[in-house]
Amino acid sequence: MAKNNDTNVKRQLPPCRTACPAHVNVQGYVSLIQKGKFRDAVEIIRKDMPFPAICGRVCFSPCEDACARTNVDQAVAIRALKRLVADIEREQGRVKSKPVPNKSNEKVAIIGAGPAGLTAAYELAKLGYPVTVFERMSELGGMMRYCIPDFRLEKFVVANEIAYIKDLGVEIKTGAEFGKDVTLESLRKEGYKAIFIAIGAQLGMKLNVPGEDLEGVINAVDFLRDVALGKHVDVGDRVAVVGGGNSAIDAARTAKKRGAKEVMILYRRSREEMPALPHEVAEAERDGVKLYFLVAPKQIIGENGKVKAIECLRMRLGEPDESGRRRPIPISFSEHQYEVDTVIPALGQVAEPECIPKELLDMKARVPSMKVDPVTLETETPGVFAGGDIATGPASIIEAVGAGKRAAVSIHLYLTGQDLRSGRDEGIEETTWVKNWDSLSKKERRYEPPSAKPRLSFEEAARYLESIRRKAMFEAFRCLGCGPCAECLANLDLCEGDKAIVDEDLCIGCNVCAVVCPFEAVKKNEDGVAQVNEDLCKGCGICAARCPERAITMKKLTDEQIESLALATAGGK
Amino acid sequence: MENNEPKIACFMCNFAFCQTEMRIPSNTSIARVNCIGRIDPVLILEMLEKGADAVMLVGCKPPDCHYIEGNSQAEITVKVLKKLMCLAGLEPERLKLLWYSPIDKKSFSSYTKEYTEEMRKLVLSPIKKAVSESPLMINILAAKNVASEFRLRVLLGREKELTESVNVYGEKIPIEEFNSLLEEIVASEFVQQKIHVLTQTKPLSIKTLSEAVGMKPATVLRQIVNMRRRNMMTLDHIEGTTPFYKALEVK
Repeated sequence: MAKNNDTNVKRQLPPCRTACPAHVNVQGYVSLIQKGKFRDAVEIIRKDMPFPAICGRVCFSPCEDACARTNVDQAVAIRALKRLVADIEREQGRVKSKPVPNKSNEKVAIIGAGPAGLTAAYELAKLGYPVTVFERMSELGGMMRYCIPDFRLEKFVVANEIAYIKDLGVEIKTGAEFGKDVTLESLRKEGYKAIFIAIGAQLGMKLNVPGEDLEGVINAVDFLRDVALGKHVDVGDRVAVVGGGNSAIDAARTAKKRGAKEVMILYRRSREEMPALPHEVAEAERDGVKLYFLVAPKQIIGENGKVKAIECLRMRLGEPDESGRRRPIPISFSEHQYEVDTVIPALGQVAEPECIPKELLDMKARVPSMKVDPVTLETETPGVFAGGDIATGPASIIEAVGAGKRAAVSIHLYLTGQDLRSGRDEGIEETTWVKNWDSLSKKERRYEPPSAKPRLSFEEAARYLESIRRKAMFEAFRCLGCGPCAECLANLDLCEGDKAIVDEDLCIGCNVCAVVCPFEAVKKNEDGVAQVNEDLCKGCGICAARCPERAITMKKLTDEQIESLALATAGGK
Repeated sequence: MENNEPKIACFMCNFAFCQTEMRIPSNTSIARVNCIGRIDPVLILEMLEKGADAVMLVGCKPPDCHYIEGNSQAEITVKVLKKLMCLAGLEPERLKLLWYSPIDKKSFSSYTKEYTEEMRKLVLSPIKKAVSESPLMINILAAKNVASEFRLRVLLGREKELTESVNVYGEKIPIEEFNSLLEEIVASEFVQQKIHVLTQTKPLSIKTLSEAVGMKPATVLRQIVNMRRRNMMTLDHIEGTTPFYKALEVK
């Protein structure tokens, strides 16, 4: 939730937190992991988003790309740490959330129990709104549950995190399809004051080549969903997956694990342009999936109505297109065929147009989507909001979480009758204190997250847990803590609001404080008296220790307090 | 034997502190601070004065300081304090700066144990037996005054600036030169402060002062001249041909 209602004052945040679409307090939980406070770390993550374990597994971690440590050596293994703390918490028994009593009578309906919808429900429930989530499928989680295979994201992990949201007092109605069982009108009649549409993009895109209707062509989304639903899916011996995104990799690995002898991924660009996460690609190769680059399907050849082969064209890369990646150009007369039993197109998803109310459909867009305000997620109909894949096109879980948070802020502002544009993410500014990267010591990333849980005796298990704890703490210590304040809440007793105060009568303007301050927070003003810029002051107290006239004291931890603390046991003659 | 256990006062950087990873020995008390650079040199001397056998500063190993250079500031503090402790007649080993991190292979308690052993050899702090008017207490008081004195603190604060970057005249002071200068200043300040403390209660002659500080009367006289210039001293009265000096309240 946005804390600052004044849009002119920018909250200064470290790069990882700025880069995260949900603005998860990365620096905060990493610094808690440093201290070995794993449970508190999960709590800090939960403040910003409800899916620590899920994102610890499948997030594309923009935080790691932005991490300031990349300027020194490598980014901190943020995602792996998040996964570890969330897993340890779950292993030690699920933390039950306390139901939040309703503070408001204004009911909110959320359509779609995917990451965006559930996050909005979570945030609104925390604010005390009665929230109802409508979901078409029998289980909650949306794409997280149905389209990410079990070996990447276990179902019980999803169920566990959703149970946390449910326990907050969110009402769930499954089997309610938007457009059929529930409509905007019916919801309004039932007294819902605000509606958030987050139905996602559920329809797999088509290849648009001849032969797509043959038996044996199954879209990646449908394929993964059928597998997740436990349906019998026969993929045959040879499978071709078309596409280079994460769902292509997921589909290929699932097919391989389902018994296909040969699985190939056909991608029209080269490895560098693949949108899939590099480590996922590496995992797929380890599973025995073959990757063919610079090939695009021309047609699917059938026999007796079944897929027999896929004919492809070779490609070469041309100029970069609007997505920044190099455009593939077909090479003429380069047709060649692969004999396959199944073709799985994995080219991305679009929203189902029949699910979107006609008045909210964006007519100008290339693919069916909804017209929403990019900042407030408002549609043209007041009280109706939309976000996630439905509004922005297929994206990631964490972006959906970000959209859900945005929507929750908007709905809260809407229901309390405030300006929807106040207190927004736009008031966030990236800051680090590091000026000289070369001065920092190098510590290469050596962290390897624990993979499979070994079977151990009690004693061994204790040692094993200790070793993973140490490893994680070691990795967390690579964090530079480059943001202004981690807001980690770990040492609130000490650091919160500890700022230097200058006694102006004592100050003689010697400028020593300005020299010693590492953050240039103390400066002499026109009168020759030192002045503290409280936004920059981190409360280290070096100036207080050095002030020749002892004119500087700290707000919280004065010299006398330190002394009495130290004397507590050692003192006395 | 409880009484013979050396008591260690430990100031610890919050970022090196980790509750779950540490077993704190009973003879050690820990005061957490935001940064180890926050510790005022006077504070350390005060701890020693109030009965701690040893003081330990625990901070993050350079160059990893959450506040960039807090630990190097602590290094400077310790460097000067050791000199002062030598002058005051306290073993400089009673002050230790330890670089520690919870992820070190060696645990905090083993560090403290080692240090406790070291301190056991030194027996207990002589301050414990000293009475308020004893020379040692006067020395400590003088050292405290030196540590809170303007000239020294400016030098401490500006050490990095002076030795690492050039000043307005384009000069850069080599660290050796700076250290010898610092030593000189610490020594003369200590004598001056000691004289000041001694003459606070009653006026004293140069002869008695030179015996008390263990210096030639001529050196003492030079210091007194300097102190009179700094408004720290005044001539109280003359007995026969012997002048008696008395300390003035500073500020």
